[in-house]
Amino acid sequence: MSLKSNILGALILAGTVSLVGCAGQQGEAALQQAGADFQKVKEDSNVLRIAPKDVIRAGESLARADRLSTYWGSGSDVVHYAYLSQRYSEIAREHTNQVLNEERAAKLELERQRLQLALRESKLLSVQQQGKWLEEQILALATTQTDRGLVMTLGDVLFDTGEAELKNSANRVVLKIVQFLQLNPKRVVRIEGYADSTGGKQENLKLSRDRAQSVADVLMDLGIDDKRILVEGYGDEYPVDANASERGRAQNRRVEIVFSDEKGQLGAAR
Amino acid sequence: MSIRPLFAALAILALAGCAADPAPNEQMRLTAQAVEQARAVGATADEVPEMKLAEDKYNRAKGSMADQSFRNARMRAEQAELDARLAEARVLTLKSEEQLNVLNTRIARLQKQLGAAQ
Repeated sequence: MSLKSNILGALILAGTVSLVGCAGQQGEAALQQAGADFQKVKEDSNVLRIAPKDVIRAGESLARADRLSTYWGSGSDVVHYAYLSQRYSEIAREHTNQVLNEERAAKLELERQRLQLALRESKLLSVQQQGKWLEEQILALATTQTDRGLVMTLGDVLFDTGEAELKNSANRVVLKIVQFLQLNPKRVVRIEGYADSTGGKQENLKLSRDRAQSVADVLMDLGIDDKRILVEGYGDEYPVDANASERGRAQNRRVEIVFSDEKGQLGAAR
Repeated sequence: MSIRPLFAALAILALAGCAADPAPNEQMRLTAQAVEQARAVGATADEVPEMKLAEDKYNRAKGSMADQSFRNARMRAEQAELDARLAEARVLTLKSEEQLNVLNTRIARLQKQLGAAQ
């Protein structure tokens, strides 16, 4: 054996050892990191509950890396299995976060539904209060509480002379009546037409009926069920003033709307 | 002292290494599936770093398969599979967070409206 080859052999051996040492150090660091990550997920009760399989796989890979680290020259395998173990730990963590979020979302969804219901109720309440307000308005709007019930009078000015068509100026009051009936779905109405004593009896009867009918038509057009509307024409009967003066006759030409009570009970017809 | 036994030992080790590694066809299939699944939930290499790792490693694994370097192919494919699974899990977690945010926003809006209504 020459001195030369001895030196060469020693160099090769030293190189190999240093390579192994390097890989060993790298493997050691990876192993420690993977071990720390595994420890963290293993101690988390949520992770154990939600992603037990991933935790087990992280543990298996770690054990494998650990075992390999005792073998000579297996540095890259140690790094590989430590990497896999770390990945499993991370996946377990992510799965857990996802499921926890979903569980939280389910709770929030219930809360959202509860709030939505509460909001709907409060809106309904405000509509009911609005209904009460409207009722007061209707009451104030030239209505009289008589023994026939709640009565609202549409005056002569809402019709052209001798015509049955309701004028546009009646729109506001008609809309109020519609709204009132929509908010009080059980109430029904009887629409009664009246005329003054000028002209023939038959003509007056027809005109009073036609006027009442035209009010009923508008209500139906605006969505009130025709079953809730009764129409009567009384001609020149039941005057509210003397027919002697023009003013008195104007008072007598009218359409009266009789509202039932809240249960739909109408006062008897005349 | 001779270095010949050392060479012999190394050769045997190398041979043993080669012999222990058959073509990892099943692992390649699993990896392809995992990458595909991650892609299906919306993981992209641009947005999720793990997805880029998965795609790169999977491509390198395919290269190793072509070179008959099965040990490398298996290790790369195994890592790529878990990279892809992690990418998928990250995307799903992100989505669940977004859902939480949406719900929280809605609840805040409802509470505000309720406060205004009362």
